[in-house]
Amino acid sequence: MRTWGFTLVPLLWSAAVGAQTQLAPGQPFPALQLPAMEDGRPRSIVEFRGRKLILHIFASW
Amino acid sequence: MPGWHEATKELERQGKVRVAGIIEEQHPDRARLFMQWKRMGWPILVDSLNLIGVQAVPITLFIDEHGIIRRVNPPLKNAAAVTGEFLAERYEAPAAAAPAVAVDAANKLFLWGGEKKIGEAIDAYKARRQHASPDAAATFRLGVAYRRRYDSPQRQEGDFQAAIDHWQKALDLNPNQYIWRRRIQQYGPRLSKPYSFYDWVVTAREEIRARGEQPPPLVVEPGGAEFARPLKQFEAEGAAAEPDAAGRIHRDPGRFIRVETIAAPPSIAAGAATRFHAVFRPNQRIKAHWNNEAEGLVLWVNPPAGWSVNPRRVALENPREAVSLETRAIEFEALAPVEAAAGRITIPAYALYYVCEDVNGTCLFRRQDLRFTVSVQEKK
Repeated sequence: MRTWGFTLVPLLWSAAVGAQTQLAPGQPFPALQLPAMEDGRPRSIVEFRGRKLILHIFASW
Repeated sequence: MPGWHEATKELERQGKVRVAGIIEEQHPDRARLFMQWKRMGWPILVDSLNLIGVQAVPITLFIDEHGIIRRVNPPLKNAAAVTGEFLAERYEAPAAAAPAVAVDAANKLFLWGGEKKIGEAIDAYKARRQHASPDAAATFRLGVAYRRRYDSPQRQEGDFQAAIDHWQKALDLNPNQYIWRRRIQQYGPRLSKPYSFYDWVVTAREEIRARGEQPPPLVVEPGGAEFARPLKQFEAEGAAAEPDAAGRIHRDPGRFIRVETIAAPPSIAAGAATRFHAVFRPNQRIKAHWNNEAEGLVLWVNPPAGWSVNPRRVALENPREAVSLETRAIEFEALAPVEAAAGRITIPAYALYYVCEDVNGTCLFRRQDLRFTVSVQEKK
């Protein structure tokens, strides 16, 4: 099994549903609703505002 | 992620920071298993469509209390120090809130329509492609939708290949998109694999059960290409005895067993490899079922001159039940010769199996001739 670590240098420019969004310091994280893994209900990272957040974008492979 | 989890779980427990995740894979239930295995309980959002558009993972972001990104990929080796700095910093509220992201109709159908709307989502992606210039992201998402339908009760023959085809088209438009590339590599040949994708699943289940917990069920059991480890050099299989060289076994033209063949990727350069998948399903309309009291399903491949295959003969073991109805899958890889001419190549093969018709019907030993196709690209 591979090591769970950084396998690639991430590229930070993203095309969020047609709009150019930059995942870069100083930029807001996109207000996008996605299904929650637990129950499939819509959730957004916006819900976490009010507290500092560490967000991991990853895949289990 | 487990490294970051170890470094920050106490801060999370104390309520000093929240932790969340977004996963970028086709099957979110596998991430659920991974999270339980690693005892990571934070909320996860599922981005199978790659709507946030990241081109590679993993990415770790520090996001302040106003929703503004403050650090991108802070170094894990200094996790305690950089997290401490982030938590100590005071950030001003921005003048304007983040604009809401518009999600188009096809994506909405995929995200919120459930399995029953997956066909409509596919149609919506296709309609959009007809009315606009080639859009790499929409093409990738159409592939994701095809694969979801393939894994659902709404599955249609050809969905798996359509998924691979659209991921390949999307990648041709944007070859820097490693998330999209991974979808093909997940099912593709060992020569192009960066690592085994899901070999951890077996260990994860064992360790979860050893803790007295129950691992969550998986919608699609990983295997074959998803477990396969990378190879640096193709290993052609040596001579093996052909099971029906004279072609004497009576044919099943697809009446008893429906066979779907898939190439991942569907198009390769000369000298490159592809991985073929064959999926066998008993025909439910005539109540066909496997007869497991004799030899198991065998696939034999006859590669064209210059082509190498591995394995050339595949034999599956039968389940314990005397008869069964399950879907069976066989995979093999083929390597194109360096001097292969451009064009569509067919690799002939055949399957041998024992199959029965209806509840008390006749059981027969049958051969089904198969054709695996792949395109060899023009030399650049």
